Amino acid sequence: MYAFNYHRAETLDQAQDLLAHYDDPKILAGGHTLLPTMKQRLANPSDLVDIAAISALKDIQHVGSMLSIGALETHAHVATSPIVQQAIPGLAALAGQIGDPHVRNRGTLGGSIANNDPAADYPAACLALSALIHTTRRHIKAQDFFIDLFETALEEHEIITRVEFPVPETSAYAKFPNPASRYALVGVYVAKTRNGVDVAVTGAGPVVFLATDLAEALTRSFMPGALDGVSINPEQLNDDLHASAAYRAHLIGIMTRQAVTTALARV
Amino acid sequence: MDSRPGKGMRVHQALRHDSALKHVSGEALYVDDLPAPSDMLHIYIAMSPHAHARILEMDLDAVRVVTGVAAVVSAGDIPGQNDVSPVAGDDPLFAEGEVYYAGQSLFAVAAESLEIARAAALEAKVQYEILTPLITIDQARQAGSYIEDSQTMACGDAAAALKNAPRRLKGRMIIGGQDHFYLEGQVALALPQEDGDMVIHSSTQHPSEVQHCVARVLGLASHSVTVEVRRMGGGFGGKETQPALMAAAAALVVRKTGRPAKLCLDRDDDMKLTGKRHDFEINYHVGFDETGRIEGIDLALASRCGYSEDLSSAINDRAMFHVDNAYFLGQATITSHRYKTHTVSNTAFRGFGGPQGMMGIERVMDEIAMALGKDPLDIRKVNLYGKAPRNITPYHQHVEDNVAPELITQLEAHARYRERRAEIKDFNRASPFLKKGLALTPVKFGISFTKTHLNQAGALIHIYADGSVHLNHGGTEMGQGLLIKVAQIIAEEFAIDLGCVKITATTTGKVPNTSATAASAGTDLNGMAALNAAQEIKGRLIAFAAKHYHCAREHISFSDNHVTIGNRVIAFADLVNQAYLARVSLSSTGFYKTPEIHYDRATHRGRPFYYFSYGAAVSEVVIDTLTGENKVLRVDILHDVGRSLNPAIDRGQIEGGFVQGMGWLTTEELYFDDGGHLLTHAPSTYKIPACSDRPVEFNIEIWEKGSNLKETIHRSKAVGEPPLMLAISVFSALGDAVASVAGHKFMPRLDAPATPERILTAVEETRRRAGVGKS
Ligand SMILES: Cc1cc2nc3c(=O)[nH]c(=O)nc-3n(C[C@H](O)[C@H](O)[C@H](O)COP(=O)(O)OP(=O)(O)OC[C@H]3O[C@@H](n4cnc5c(N)ncnc54)[C@H](O)[C@@H]3O)c2cc1C
Repeated sequence: MYAFNYHRAETLDQAQDLLAHYDDPKILAGGHTLLPTMKQRLANPSDLVDIAAISALKDIQHVGSMLSIGALETHAHVATSPIVQQAIPGLAALAGQIGDPHVRNRGTLGGSIANNDPAADYPAACLALSALIHTTRRHIKAQDFFIDLFETALEEHEIITRVEFPVPETSAYAKFPNPASRYALVGVYVAKTRNGVDVAVTGAGPVVFLATDLAEALTRSFMPGALDGVSINPEQLNDDLHASAAYRAHLIGIMTRQAVTTALARV
Repeated sequence: MDSRPGKGMRVHQALRHDSALKHVSGEALYVDDLPAPSDMLHIYIAMSPHAHARILEMDLDAVRVVTGVAAVVSAGDIPGQNDVSPVAGDDPLFAEGEVYYAGQSLFAVAAESLEIARAAALEAKVQYEILTPLITIDQARQAGSYIEDSQTMACGDAAAALKNAPRRLKGRMIIGGQDHFYLEGQVALALPQEDGDMVIHSSTQHPSEVQHCVARVLGLASHSVTVEVRRMGGGFGGKETQPALMAAAAALVVRKTGRPAKLCLDRDDDMKLTGKRHDFEINYHVGFDETGRIEGIDLALASRCGYSEDLSSAINDRAMFHVDNAYFLGQATITSHRYKTHTVSNTAFRGFGGPQGMMGIERVMDEIAMALGKDPLDIRKVNLYGKAPRNITPYHQHVEDNVAPELITQLEAHARYRERRAEIKDFNRASPFLKKGLALTPVKFGISFTKTHLNQAGALIHIYADGSVHLNHGGTEMGQGLLIKVAQIIAEEFAIDLGCVKITATTTGKVPNTSATAASAGTDLNGMAALNAAQEIKGRLIAFAAKHYHCAREHISFSDNHVTIGNRVIAFADLVNQAYLARVSLSSTGFYKTPEIHYDRATHRGRPFYYFSYGAAVSEVVIDTLTGENKVLRVDILHDVGRSLNPAIDRGQIEGGFVQGMGWLTTEELYFDDGGHLLTHAPSTYKIPACSDRPVEFNIEIWEKGSNLKETIHRSKAVGEPPLMLAISVFSALGDAVASVAGHKFMPRLDAPATPERILTAVEETRRRAGVGKS
């Protein structure tokens, strides 16, 4: 780890001031991605602005057809929140499958999507549920937010404050974890709303993406069988030490079916 | 059962490991836990980023000037030979001229802290001319790159037998390597002594080799170097030849600076720098009759040895010795190709090539069964070694202690093999996606180092004037329980409490020229050597008592901490004290060499093994044919350890060996990219079994009839390596589950490790061959 200065912000305003003030600052939330990266000297911020104490970023509300989750909510809290479990059980279940208890007790929703790891779980939920990502400057649609490998629409020093998820009729996430890391080798989030079905895939490509062919088939008939004959093109998928592109393509089909089955059981 | 070492507890008792509580509480000291001398330096090894390259220039000046750096050492700083190899002289401590694998050590930085050393190493300016590497067995084969001549072992005329056999089949399988993943990584602490002498604490299974290597590198006589090891946090063969490099680098820094120095590899560096289990390719061509009995077989083994010889020659020999496993192969030709590649030099790993050899023949058994539409267990049974002439191995040793048939029959009944086979058939018929598989596989493993001269051991015992016993021998403790077993043997011999026998660290200063604690032979060899020392002292005590008390020797006996001398009974400690006062020597060395064994490597004939250890396992697995995921549901093991010296320790070895074998064959994958870089070098990418991967139901039984025909120590048998190979039953069961998707008509091509992706591929291929669509 290189040397850096540490600052703890109590309010959003203070955090923004601190971020504006220093050369090369970075936001610190749960630290479960940022700190390991710094330890490996892959990141070298001059200053860390710890936002963990900002209580305004911690709340979960279900108002009307929207579930709003503060950026600092931990995976563990989302997984066990009765509000989330009642509104979007698929999302609570997803949060409960992230990493291990240590990671879930520290890692946050904001940190996860700001980081945009190609194998992270939350991005799939955001995309499939058409979430709205609120920041200190604006709100960004999920489909405009996740741009590429570890790249998002966030500008310098822009802080995610909360994420709004439209509550679907039903939804579910199915994850095939890498046996060693437990990150998603392939994860599929399926959401069914009045307007149709969306299917988002993580782990399989450089960045989370919508599987439109699958979604169309499921919009016609929300049954696992509707996917018969719909094939997934492995060409754009990752092919690496963890799995071949062909295996990932196969798993997308299987995970989508599993998610549909679970989603159906939730209606 | 009370397992505290206490009164009357000696051999054949289930005693817990002498350090069990200390392991759990953290009080057991490993090298990195030893109190650090205040002026100790920390060493970091800089490693090659390329698999094969010429070093055009290595400028280390910028490394030297970093604040906190005390010394930088590279090949040019070595006063003796730049060689840490066990045999062949081809493992440089630091690269010179060329690098031969990605991860090879280039130079070492010694600094006030490990962080400084590591950061300073990045300042090196090394220029390379990159050369084409040979990474895979295929590439080495095409380039004709070998570490030694290919070997052939033959019994009878396999070609003719194949030609005349009623049925024939051919196949091929690939078996991946394995990282040792000892919990305690490689570590050495070197301490400067007077006159340039050196004391080294090393995490090593082979203190004598570390001693000789360090002396060779420093240009010293062996008597100037002392190597000590109290315990290792796991070795598994990975600390047989590998620790020499850490120790030599640390010693070189001490030589250069006069300060103590420690080298402790972190996990990623350990996995990139040190050797692993050899990966193999096996091609088989087998002829058999309608009952499934093998008439002739041609087996070709190929292995990736890496850039140097290390122990590859003996390891590949042992693979050849175990291609028969427990079966009589009839007319057999076995060839073995040992390929030299630009990858880390592969080394010893629990089983030492034996497991890879066995994988081939177990696949053959399954494949014959499928060809004949029979249960694989029936094929295995008809092929087991039997009475003459069906008792000759391909290397012409006669199998005289064959208990496999009896043991298998007992396990088959205990595990309800036939009933479960029927239940699984029903289950699979009713279950569209989940499919179960079942397999029983035996193990017959040859005990002895196949290099005959290594089968020797020494011990040193002192009895102090208060009657307490100091025990030392050449064997090392790596968690396997060797030290308590030998202590039990000594307590038994003197008929004293185990607590009266002090277990002490292995050191080259007490017992010289030892062999590695390896080949499962640690207890066989060191137990006998220690017994020899104890008997020597006991003989002196008896002679003294006979003279002192005017009693015939045959009326002197030892029991329950006392010695009966005629009709007098005195405490053991009192007799010892009297002997001391009468100026009787109460210290003795002991020595043992395994009898009967001999081997001619030129013809591959002889009697390389003193005896065989046996076992068998039944594994039941379930696979998900949609994803390839799998789980081991139930395992039943029956294992022969002769007359167990310590059933608690032996059970631990059986369980641990099985689980480690399971990891090798199912989840642990060494993935090298095209440039020869190992990409799976940490637990985040390399998956070893965890508690949750243990079989759901796990029944382990030590064979109660076990006894060694040979006069081994208390008729026990070696147990370190053989149980690893019981896990081949898991691999066979996975194959069985896959084959069920096409009614067991085709043998799926399944390579190891059987990851979900490979299982899925095998399922799909099996269906394609059978013309069965997806269900
Ligand atoms: C062992 C382990 C296993 C894991 N397994 C999984 C898994 O299975 N699935 C999965 O999805 N993830 C997994 N993770 C990642 C985990 O979920 C991380 O906690 C998460 O990705 C980052 O959240 P954080 O709060 O820790 O962020 P930090 O590490 O604090 O920050 C991460 C990045 O986001 C930025 N950031 C943080 N908060 C904000 C904000 N509010 N606004 C703008 N930028 C912000 C930071 O500046 C930094 O660049 C794992 C992590 C570990 C260590």
